[in-house]
Amino acid sequence: MTSKNTRRTRTGLFALLAVIGPGVIAASAGNDSGGISTYSVAGAKYGYTMLWMMLAMTPSFVIVQEMAGRMGAVTGKGFAALIRERFGVRPTFLAMLMLLASNAATTIAEFAGIAAAMQLFGVSKYISVPIAAIVVWLLVVRGSFRNVEKVLLALSSVFIAYVIAAFLAKPDWAVVATSAVVPKIVPTQAFIALAIGLTGTTIAPWMQFLVQSNIVDKGTTVKEWALARWDVIVGAIVANVIACFIIITTATVLHPAGVEITGAGEAARALAPLAGHYAETLFAIGLLSASVLAAAVLPLTASYAICEAFGWEAGLDRSWSEAPLFNGLYTFVILTGAAVILIPGLNLITIMLVSQVINGMLLPFLLIFMMIIINDRRIMGRYVNGRVGNTFAWTTIVVVITLTALLLGMTVLGIG
Amino acid sequence: MFYLTRMLGKPVVDAAGDEIGTISDVAIATREVFPRVTSLAFLGPEKTPFMLSWRKFVAEIDDDRVTLNVTRDALRFSYLQPDEILLARDLLSQQIVDTQGMKVVRVNDLKLSESRNQLRLLGAEVGVRGILRGLSPALERGVQRIVRIFGSELTEDLIAWNYMDLLDRDLSHVQLSVTHKRLHELHPADIADVLEKLTPAQRAKVFEHLDNSQAAETISELEDEFQADVIDDLGSQRASDILEMMDPDDAADVIGDLPYDKAEALLRLMGMKESGAIRGLLGYREKTAGGIMTPEVTTISAEWTVQQVIEHLRGEAAENESIYYIYVTDDDDRLEGVISLRDLVVSEPGTLVADIVTKDVFTADVDDDQEDVAETMSKYDLLAMPVIDETGRLLGIVTVDDALAVLEEESAEDLQIATGQRAREGVSGIWRWVSRRGWLVVWSLLALVAAATIPEALIVLLAGTVVLRIAEDVASHALSRVIESEDEEDKMPLWRRITGDALAGTGLGLVVGLVTGAITWLFIGLTDWLQPGGESETLIRIEVTIVVGLVYALSVLLVSVAGTLVARIAEAAASRGRRVSGTAVTVTLMIVGALSFTGFAYMAFFAIRSITGS
Repeated sequence: MTSKNTRRTRTGLFALLAVIGPGVIAASAGNDSGGISTYSVAGAKYGYTMLWMMLAMTPSFVIVQEMAGRMGAVTGKGFAALIRERFGVRPTFLAMLMLLASNAATTIAEFAGIAAAMQLFGVSKYISVPIAAIVVWLLVVRGSFRNVEKVLLALSSVFIAYVIAAFLAKPDWAVVATSAVVPKIVPTQAFIALAIGLTGTTIAPWMQFLVQSNIVDKGTTVKEWALARWDVIVGAIVANVIACFIIITTATVLHPAGVEITGAGEAARALAPLAGHYAETLFAIGLLSASVLAAAVLPLTASYAICEAFGWEAGLDRSWSEAPLFNGLYTFVILTGAAVILIPGLNLITIMLVSQVINGMLLPFLLIFMMIIINDRRIMGRYVNGRVGNTFAWTTIVVVITLTALLLGMTVLGIG
Repeated sequence: MFYLTRMLGKPVVDAAGDEIGTISDVAIATREVFPRVTSLAFLGPEKTPFMLSWRKFVAEIDDDRVTLNVTRDALRFSYLQPDEILLARDLLSQQIVDTQGMKVVRVNDLKLSESRNQLRLLGAEVGVRGILRGLSPALERGVQRIVRIFGSELTEDLIAWNYMDLLDRDLSHVQLSVTHKRLHELHPADIADVLEKLTPAQRAKVFEHLDNSQAAETISELEDEFQADVIDDLGSQRASDILEMMDPDDAADVIGDLPYDKAEALLRLMGMKESGAIRGLLGYREKTAGGIMTPEVTTISAEWTVQQVIEHLRGEAAENESIYYIYVTDDDDRLEGVISLRDLVVSEPGTLVADIVTKDVFTADVDDDQEDVAETMSKYDLLAMPVIDETGRLLGIVTVDDALAVLEEESAEDLQIATGQRAREGVSGIWRWVSRRGWLVVWSLLALVAAATIPEALIVLLAGTVVLRIAEDVASHALSRVIESEDEEDKMPLWRRITGDALAGTGLGLVVGLVTGAITWLFIGLTDWLQPGGESETLIRIEVTIVVGLVYALSVLLVSVAGTLVARIAEAAASRGRRVSGTAVTVTLMIVGALSFTGFAYMAFFAIRSITGS
């Protein structure tokens, strides 16, 4: 009787719903201020031109997220722990430095997002950012974060509005479809940098750490993984679909009008077909909650990963004297993120874009670590990567490294 | 002194001075406290791995190389023995449990020392110094120098082999010295401390090595938030076996935190007696005498002789949690008095219980605050205190260990209040609800602020989710009712509890609506004062906010009523032996919530439109 019951509760839609969570959360958190701004700029500046990249990137994104989740389910360990155990101290130090850089850059972008959103409400960044830093820090320290997370996640889901807005904007769907499948490249530095940023924000390095540690914390086993992977896969696809619609909307509304996005106000105007003169408010609420959510998640992800790699005491229930490095790290990242935004005369949109380009540049190196681990039979047993997974992941690595080299070359030689 | 990180990669040179490979690992004999190095692993040409006996072939080791005592041709290679531990593979960079310091740490380096041509493992370096050395020995020296300037010293943090337990490699099949302390040999309270620092997968591995009674004690010692997770991860059969062995009050705490389906499944796997006791306890409210008591209590009748009582204790009462006090009850289980173990031992075997009984007993009511109970026990130095219901029936006892736990918990809470770290959980009723569901209030407020600024469609979108969450909550309340009421008939009637919840929810909806209305009025009122002309719109907004509050209240009320109904149906089904799906109940209530919210919202806006005429 027992086995029958177990089987009944373990299959079907309800079972799927029960394991849904980590992947969808991680992927939605990926559509943060950096993501919104990068996608908006891509659409406003280049129209539908970059859509094909999103389409081409989707399988890679899905595969990378699936790989991270699978590593977590098979080994029961976080990505950082696996890097440390497979590679030793020196490579781990390098990997953690990259993770910290990627995380800190993105946290800066989140505070830029908070500042931009509050500016739409007419609040100066010199007021909003310090308050936001304290709020975010308290959220993390007091551990009430788990609950608030749901609220913020729900609020940031207003970005689904882009899907409706895209239809209301009445784009020429034939052109959209063509652009989505026909590759086109504009040989300028700006375009290539944006392409790197697009990759970096879609397949953000820190998201792999987050997905894996969520799977580990949930105690998902290899057996449950068969089901849980769909959560990760669906989450990745949903996130990318929304990203595509952001590009379509901005490309339809802003690009023909020749609007250059220099601030959140211009980006918000893309939602005008849906929300009319409430577009700014809608955009600001979404941007604010997505940014606050990510600004709390990112420093914690870095802190957990680094402590895991070096075996330092970690956990929100540990005091400063018990876990000084853990507490110090996330506090440092939050404070740095907020402090940078307080520098006068910064363009917030530029900051968000640059952070994503940094993410994109660091991505291939962390992916290389991942590829070596996931193809190591001693660690993964029979759950090593298949050929398709390897092909897509290595292609991503090679393409992004090539793009980075191209960008550096063009910058040095002054082309484009 | 040798450090493994510095040895790895150094050349292996034969007696003729030819380099035949580079060091890749060393193996140790596990039996000793400071284990001897038994084998040397090295990579030959083209990365071919080789292994040879340290005792037979190694002539000398220094900072730059390992020198062998024969030439390449005379070497006899060996294989790794199953009971050998490889330092680089099994220890370096891995997580280990420090069973002396009761911590989980990562090995940064391994320190070895040489005496009489014998290399021995001194211990695992787990401090920052090991990390620095692993990065670069120059960095270690540099930091050391800087630290010395400040009059301090970069200390080594070493753990000896016999205080290590490995997490990834099972040491069960390896010979260890008698002094070697492994994780499962620690006191359950210490095992619990270590477990809390591990990932679920690692915890599961540790539990494989604990027998059921150890596991039961360990789970009792875990912090509340881990207990349910651990039980959830164990197989159903083992989980229910372990819960059976736990004191019923501890087991009830764990089961109360499990999702309904799992809890019901585990209770069904248990024996009737144990599951009955646990179901009974689930009915009492948390933080009361009923919530912390155990039903395992030794009761006797006043007509018994001392001899009879002692035999009763040796027999059926032997397994009870506490036997220091024995309670005298009448035929209706009403408490009449108490005798202590001491009274028994010093009395003649033929004495009647009625002659030595103390009629004046300190008792607690089921609904008494747990803190009061604990304080009374501490004041009068009681080892246990009986808990009675309003008719004087003996329901169970609160034992001293639970009372101590309460005092500890409450003093931690008081400390938090004193230092202003965390607000105490709500005073009562609605405020308790509000403070426990703080995030819900935040969400409601945000949604309502949005409601005041954005057109109707969005309000429904945003605020509706709140009602869904409330529905989910009502569902879990309803489900817990079903579990606990399964074989208890005499509790507070179901409808009264649910109406209580409904009132709290409705009140919250109203309060949230009104507060936000006030805030919006202040906010918009001020703007309008600065920018005159938008008055008609302002009026609408204020009303919208208030109406949304009302819509909340109504939907919550409806969901609560639906909760009562669903709970009734589920209860009826459960009493006929049918399994009730918790997910189905939750989903049903969420659908009710969504429909009623949308419906009420629609009606409300219709009403506003017709009133304002816009």
